[in-house]
Amino acid sequence: MKRMITLFSVLLLINTNPALAIEVNEIVAKANHAAYYQGDDGRARVKMEIIDKQGRKRTRDFVILRKDIGDDDKEQKFYVYFNRPADVNKTVFMVWKHIDKDDDRWMYLPALDLVKRIAATDERTSFVGSDFFYEDVSGRNPTEDTHELLETTDNYYILKSTPKNPDTVEFSYFKSYIHKTSFIPVKVEFYDKGGKKYREASVEKVENIQGYQTVTQGKMKDLRTGSQTILSYSAVQYDIDLPEDIFTERYLRNPPMNYIRR
Amino acid sequence: MLLISEYAADKPKSFMWGALLLSMLFIIFVAGGSLFPKQFSFIPSIKIDTDPENMLSSDEPVRIFHNERKKEYNIYDIIVVGVVNKKNEAGVFNPQSLKNIYDLGEYARQIAWSGEKGQEGVIEAEIISPSNVDNIEQAGLGTVRFEWLMKQPPQNEKEAKEIYDKAANIPFLKDTLVSGDGKAIALYIPITSKNISYKVADKLKEKISQFKGDDEYYITGLPIAQDTFGIEMFKQMAISAPMAMLLIFALMWYFFKSIKLIISPMIVAMVSVIITMGALILTGNTIHIMSSMIPVFIMPIAVLDAVHILSDFFDTYPRYKNRRKAIAHVMEELSKPMFFTTLTTAAGFGSLAFTPIPPVQIFGIFIAFGVLMAWILTITLVPAYIMLMNEKSLEGFGGVHHQDNPSSPMAKLLYKTGSFTYNHAKIVLLIMVILIGISVYGINKIEINDNPVKWFNKNHDIRIADKELNQRFAGTYMAYLELSSKNDLKEQFLTELTKSLNSNNEQQNILKNNLPKLGSDINAIKDFIYSKQDEATNDDIYYAWNDVAIIVDNIYGKFEIFKQPDMLRYIEKLQNHLLKTDLVGKSNALPDIVKTVYRELFLGEEKYFTIPDTQNAIAQTLMTYQNSHRPNDLWHFTTPSYDKTILWIQLKSGDNKDMNQVVKTVEDFLSSNKAPIELKHNWFGLTYINMLWQEKMVSGMMEAFLGSFIIVLIMMIFLFRSLLWGLLSMVPLTITIAFIYGIIGLIGKDYDMPVAVLSSLSLGLAIDYAIHFLARSREAAKKHGKWKDTVKAVFGEPARAITRNVIVIGAGFTPLLFAPLVPYNTVGFFISAILFFAGIATLLILPSLIKIMERLLFKQERKTS
Repeated sequence: MKRMITLFSVLLLINTNPALAIEVNEIVAKANHAAYYQGDDGRARVKMEIIDKQGRKRTRDFVILRKDIGDDDKEQKFYVYFNRPADVNKTVFMVWKHIDKDDDRWMYLPALDLVKRIAATDERTSFVGSDFFYEDVSGRNPTEDTHELLETTDNYYILKSTPKNPDTVEFSYFKSYIHKTSFIPVKVEFYDKGGKKYREASVEKVENIQGYQTVTQGKMKDLRTGSQTILSYSAVQYDIDLPEDIFTERYLRNPPMNYIRR
Repeated sequence: MLLISEYAADKPKSFMWGALLLSMLFIIFVAGGSLFPKQFSFIPSIKIDTDPENMLSSDEPVRIFHNERKKEYNIYDIIVVGVVNKKNEAGVFNPQSLKNIYDLGEYARQIAWSGEKGQEGVIEAEIISPSNVDNIEQAGLGTVRFEWLMKQPPQNEKEAKEIYDKAANIPFLKDTLVSGDGKAIALYIPITSKNISYKVADKLKEKISQFKGDDEYYITGLPIAQDTFGIEMFKQMAISAPMAMLLIFALMWYFFKSIKLIISPMIVAMVSVIITMGALILTGNTIHIMSSMIPVFIMPIAVLDAVHILSDFFDTYPRYKNRRKAIAHVMEELSKPMFFTTLTTAAGFGSLAFTPIPPVQIFGIFIAFGVLMAWILTITLVPAYIMLMNEKSLEGFGGVHHQDNPSSPMAKLLYKTGSFTYNHAKIVLLIMVILIGISVYGINKIEINDNPVKWFNKNHDIRIADKELNQRFAGTYMAYLELSSKNDLKEQFLTELTKSLNSNNEQQNILKNNLPKLGSDINAIKDFIYSKQDEATNDDIYYAWNDVAIIVDNIYGKFEIFKQPDMLRYIEKLQNHLLKTDLVGKSNALPDIVKTVYRELFLGEEKYFTIPDTQNAIAQTLMTYQNSHRPNDLWHFTTPSYDKTILWIQLKSGDNKDMNQVVKTVEDFLSSNKAPIELKHNWFGLTYINMLWQEKMVSGMMEAFLGSFIIVLIMMIFLFRSLLWGLLSMVPLTITIAFIYGIIGLIGKDYDMPVAVLSSLSLGLAIDYAIHFLARSREAAKKHGKWKDTVKAVFGEPARAITRNVIVIGAGFTPLLFAPLVPYNTVGFFISAILFFAGIATLLILPSLIKIMERLLFKQERKTS
């Protein structure tokens, strides 16, 4: 019995090795920054292509505006303005991303002249019919998962992230492949409760824009439905001094066109 | 024919060994191919096919359409699991039951394995269970919420009740996922293919057996019914057919008193069945619901001729006291009628080859083959067998001392019958006319209908589940109605776009000039604009192109016809109209999605449960809907180009006649209510396919029957070398068939698949008795002259042979009445009835007609001979 305890404490020691733990958290923090927090704010035109198992393609075009609140990679605001298809033209989604509480989300449906809050109890629902979730667009809070470094290869840190509260999500864990120098998570694989991979995000294209390594094309595949969504970013601009007040309900009906179109 | 019988009688051993060897060979080949498919890859193995879809050939347009649309709309075959709790006041909406349902739903997600065709099992993303569907509802003022209906099992009664309330508020889920009475839940588990349903159901049952509580689980759905049918079918082949055989054996023993002797018809029947079924399997054909009945059909027909031989031998032997001579006499007398009865039976079944239904074709062809096989075996093996018997064992056989001698009750009765027909011919014929009248009345009342679930008897688990679920939910039988534009929308789009583009605008002009190259494909046009936007050196050009794209979208939108308010209202009207028929429990379609989401966007107020007024409003409502966990559910109802839409119509019954009624209702609606855009419609779904093959079968059977009737008539005219005698021989079968179908109409039995096939069986069997009776009447008339004297002779041995036949074979099929599969019951009952009536018709009507037409018949006879 005594021997067992000793063995157990050794294992415990290894797992709590402070040097290693810091390293993992650092990787996660840097990856989080690279994926969502480059620059103080930004703007991009996005072409969304949803291609289903049958090869049928649907496209949606929108402009995304982002502003960070503070420099601590936490609070953020997003404004998504739809151009096309024409029948959803002027539709807006707005998100206030929070760290210690649920995000605030709004949508504006021009044809119904309706501003509506979307309850954020579950952010893992489809973003406008695509294979991306709301959470993929605004970013999952790293503190919701425990992270461990599985492997370090020549180019990547391979992390396994396990949710602290598994009942709130549909995955049991996800694995990310984080590029060693840019810290961009180039591939993220989601595994279901049976241990089967069912969802995969990947970075298809990276460009250097204003000195920031920027993902200009990303893909999300749903392995269950065989559907995939490609997001292509163009006219990406950072540090454009977006005023914070355009990220308010008032601007949903009256979009800040001077920031949306430049 | 005689030659081969004589040859067999001379070399009995070689014939018996030959038959044995042949059977062994067939058995070895079939067993080898099925048990060791690898080593015997050149031999086809046993293939079971219980899929009613295969009643239609796989290249049938409706099936091709069905499969295409299933793919297009992501529709799968579904196992339905109903959960009912009759003890708890709240039904299954209590924490314990919902915990079980949750566990079952989550367990079902993981049922998958890699099989021959790749990944097999449950289609996880498409499961409909409380933990796998979305609820959309108000979450406080101005807030809308998407959440899993039951993300976690509820902790208390109140939460459990809430799950019901939420689901009942969503038209999709009400009466589909949760029952209207608030007591039951149904899970819909889609699977990769029908033939794994039994395996999946087994896994579900295993899980269910671990649950505690008073919940009752009902597993049903067409795939389950079909798979189960296959298993029961095998049981029946293994139980009913041998039971029938045993009973026939016992009855023959009773009549002929010699076990040794009656083994020969048994051998004939066995070998015929083995060779026919062997040939069926080895030619790569499947064992289908129809072909599984082949043994049951071949057996009576195979025994029939042998009984004639034995019967004659039984009566003849005492005269000769010599096997060889007695056989020669019997074969002399019987070979001609036997040959013709065989040909007519084979023709009757062979005519099924011309029906448009592949399993029925196979059935007909192989029975015809089996009948010919049985004939060859009968005329060789029966004489051979008799020759192999010890002459001593025949001592005291037949003849005077048995109950079958002319003073036996049967003989006396037949003798009396004979004189009755002579003395009261007119009365017999009058009764016949009355019966025909009643039959015609009955036939007019026949209802054509079938339902694969009703192939199981009432007490079968599947029928019970079917009843329970259809009482509580909106119906488990699904049919899909697709609506699409009658005109080519793409061409119209291109024409209108070309017209609308302004040549004075730089970008519009560029697109206009490129349109002929791009064609009507919206994605090609969009990609062209995207490429121009990518080339744009500044935002002005980019947005100039964006404006062009919006023009394109707006024109394209006009052809996204099922995003338009008036079209959705039209569908809504059709849905309401369908509900007025009691047959449709519910229909799900695009308007239901739009109305539900629109209502929830406006505080859940009932007055917003309506279709918004503009196309953009509909588009934005639908985009909101797609913010859920299951955005692709939309594509179960329409395509991304919104040029087609389908209605999911839930029927409470799978009866073909009900489906037929729904089809008519839709047709009436569409023709009397003009759609804003001219529509065409198409049906698919198993319930519809079942209806179609039924219709095809009825008309096909009718044609096949009429065809074989004429062929047999020509054969009879040829056999008797007389039109009159030929027509006469057709009388008993005509009356038998009229009478049988009259009864079916009168007792309200549906005209279904087995009933349809019975007409061929009647034709095949009833003509036999007439041939034997008439052929021997003519033989006897040559000897006796006047009919008055002839009738006595005919009602001797020939009548006894027919009567023995009726009793042996008719009673032999009663075991089928106890089978758990209704088609077997039907066949069992009607085979007996057909034999009975054909016997009566032959023994009563034919002699009465001959009496009335004696002069005409025999005058002609004298002329011809």
